[in-house]
Amino acid sequence: MKQHRKLARVVAGAAVAALVLTGCRGGGDEDSASGPGITEEACPDAVNKDNGCIYLGAISDLTKGPFAPLAVPITDAQKAFWKKVNEDGGVGGFDVNIDKYIADAEYNPEIHNKKYQEMRNDVLALGQTLGSSQTLAILEDMKADDVIGVPASWNSAWDFEDQILQSGANYCFEAMNGVDWAVANRGVKGKVLAIHYPNDYGGDAAAGVEAAAKANNLDFKAVETATGQDNQAGAVAAVLKEKPDLVYVTTGPAEMATILGGAAAQGWKGTVVGSSPTWNPALLQTEAAPALEAMYFQAGPWGPWGTESDGHKAMRDALAEVDSPSDGYTAGWVWEYPLLAALKAAADMDGGVTRENVVKAAKDLDSVDYEGMLPDDAFNQTGEANDVAWRQSVISKVDKEAPTGVSIAEEMKAGPTAEGYDYTEPCFALN
Amino acid sequence: MTTFLQSVLNGFAQGSIYALLALGYVMIYKATHVISFAQPALMVCGGLFAYHATSVFELPFWPALIVAIIAGALLGMLVERLALRPMVGKPVFTLAIITIGVDIVLRIFANRYMGPDPRSVPYPGGSNRLEFWGLSISHQRLGLIVVTAVTVAALAMFFRYAKTGLAMRATALNQETALAQGIRVGTMFALAWAIAGGLAAIAGTFVAATGAGMEQNTWIIALKALPAIIIGGLDSIPGAVIGGLAVGLVESITAVYQPDVAPWLGNNFALVAPYALMFLVLLVKPYGLFGTKEVERV
Repeated sequence: MKQHRKLARVVAGAAVAALVLTGCRGGGDEDSASGPGITEEACPDAVNKDNGCIYLGAISDLTKGPFAPLAVPITDAQKAFWKKVNEDGGVGGFDVNIDKYIADAEYNPEIHNKKYQEMRNDVLALGQTLGSSQTLAILEDMKADDVIGVPASWNSAWDFEDQILQSGANYCFEAMNGVDWAVANRGVKGKVLAIHYPNDYGGDAAAGVEAAAKANNLDFKAVETATGQDNQAGAVAAVLKEKPDLVYVTTGPAEMATILGGAAAQGWKGTVVGSSPTWNPALLQTEAAPALEAMYFQAGPWGPWGTESDGHKAMRDALAEVDSPSDGYTAGWVWEYPLLAALKAAADMDGGVTRENVVKAAKDLDSVDYEGMLPDDAFNQTGEANDVAWRQSVISKVDKEAPTGVSIAEEMKAGPTAEGYDYTEPCFALN
Repeated sequence: MTTFLQSVLNGFAQGSIYALLALGYVMIYKATHVISFAQPALMVCGGLFAYHATSVFELPFWPALIVAIIAGALLGMLVERLALRPMVGKPVFTLAIITIGVDIVLRIFANRYMGPDPRSVPYPGGSNRLEFWGLSISHQRLGLIVVTAVTVAALAMFFRYAKTGLAMRATALNQETALAQGIRVGTMFALAWAIAGGLAAIAGTFVAATGAGMEQNTWIIALKALPAIIIGGLDSIPGAVIGGLAVGLVESITAVYQPDVAPWLGNNFALVAPYALMFLVLLVKPYGLFGTKEVERV
């Protein structure tokens, strides 16, 4: 009897130990063929039941952060992008799933890091990591994990990071092009005011504005402003006091509209050029709409939703059920092309799709087929940033008739400041 | 001088929002001795009621404002009946914590309705401006100042001349004595919440008509009414109005002059200026400018 009890204790102890050890393994799929984030089992609700599954993560800003109006469509577009990839057969015998690991980080670097920790053993790569400071908060972990990421941001620092697959001109070049365009087309010749968030997004653009102001012999002043519509009194006061010819804004859409609307309501007349994320077509329903129509222009990395290209058409077809088009969809769709190219290249390598091979493949990409949404050579990871970084932007104007409220005022082009810029380090040091 | 007067005008407009919200806080505090942290949610819901009335029912602004006030008042009464009334007699701190829960719950529903895009209430001629003496103000902001002034005057008359208003004042003064006089104290509580809900709805409607409209994080505006009620005095209706306007003025004037006069205070000091003012007032008048000094028998 005693022996039975002893045996029972040993078995029970072993069972508990096994349970604990199993729990300690974390959520990784280490029993899969190729490592974390990839399984031989089909994806949940798989398009191709015989394919394995590649899991991508998306850390976004889906509810209360300043970019939620853009981030929701970005994320939806990325789901649609990979659904289409799967419908076309998948990648190297795998379907790609970006639906399972979607997290809302509220545009907060700490939450962003927490969300990454929760998914780091479960994803092969990040299909979206929204925000510059936010991505910086997980960059070292991504490097340690051999995880590549698609930024939902355009920061000059990403041109110097192999594991961040950036598409389109960064905020810095975008700002240079915006100022050069305003000088050439809006008669700007006196003062330029850069109003920006006090973070890496704002800082990068402000550095570009400063460089362009210097190149064009304009007076330059920068004003930092906080998030939140109720916190823009200082920015509005600065516009009224400085009376600039050009205000370059790098905030969220609501803040931009509040600043422009507030300054215009008090008699300021000038030109406002905003970084790409400052536009949301819903702003046309607000009190600021008349001022936006008269004074606002958007510097952006590619043509808006309604542009004619194979990629734009594929996107519109895939998102045909969308009621309110937004260029968040456009951005989300374009951003995934380099990741698709990296996965395809990794699938052809020895060992197939693994984190290590995807990193290696991404480093060797010297062009990406964007289906005409961007030129193929807009993406090149194989040289020095000064030689290969993409410097061209599109300038759009408010157009109530256009699907996303903006249409192209100037086709893709690099202005003289961006063309001649000595790009040996990021415009703004991330910290 | 024009710059100064313009910043005063802007401050008055923004301060009107804070004053309306501060009045709501004070109404509830006077009636129940509870600081209601549900005011931000009531403001957001009020703005969304107006948005729904204009966008779905296609009502013009002014009827939509009336709808929002009525719906806001009903919501306030509902909150009082369901969440606060059953807790009568419990410590005030407990009730305050309950209002935080109410705020969170209401904002969850509001956020689901709102989604990620801003919701805006169109104001008739909102972007048109009135210009005088070199100053400029949008019709929407002018409307806000006028509506606030009318609301404050109506409230003052209600408490001075209306029987119910007098009953509310009696309840605020001493609940047991009010009961002994035949006043239905529970009804007075509900009425205080209804008025607070209506006031928050006015503020929310004008917030939704301003700038980029109502967003998921717009509720934070209502927190700026907290320094206003501390400055004015927790239980003072005139204090709430003056405190609200003072916060708006300080914020606006600081935003214009601080970057030049005191750049060493850093960027965006205007955001903390109301709290600095609150601190100064508390140093001199611990119960606020118009608050009742508490006397305790020991």
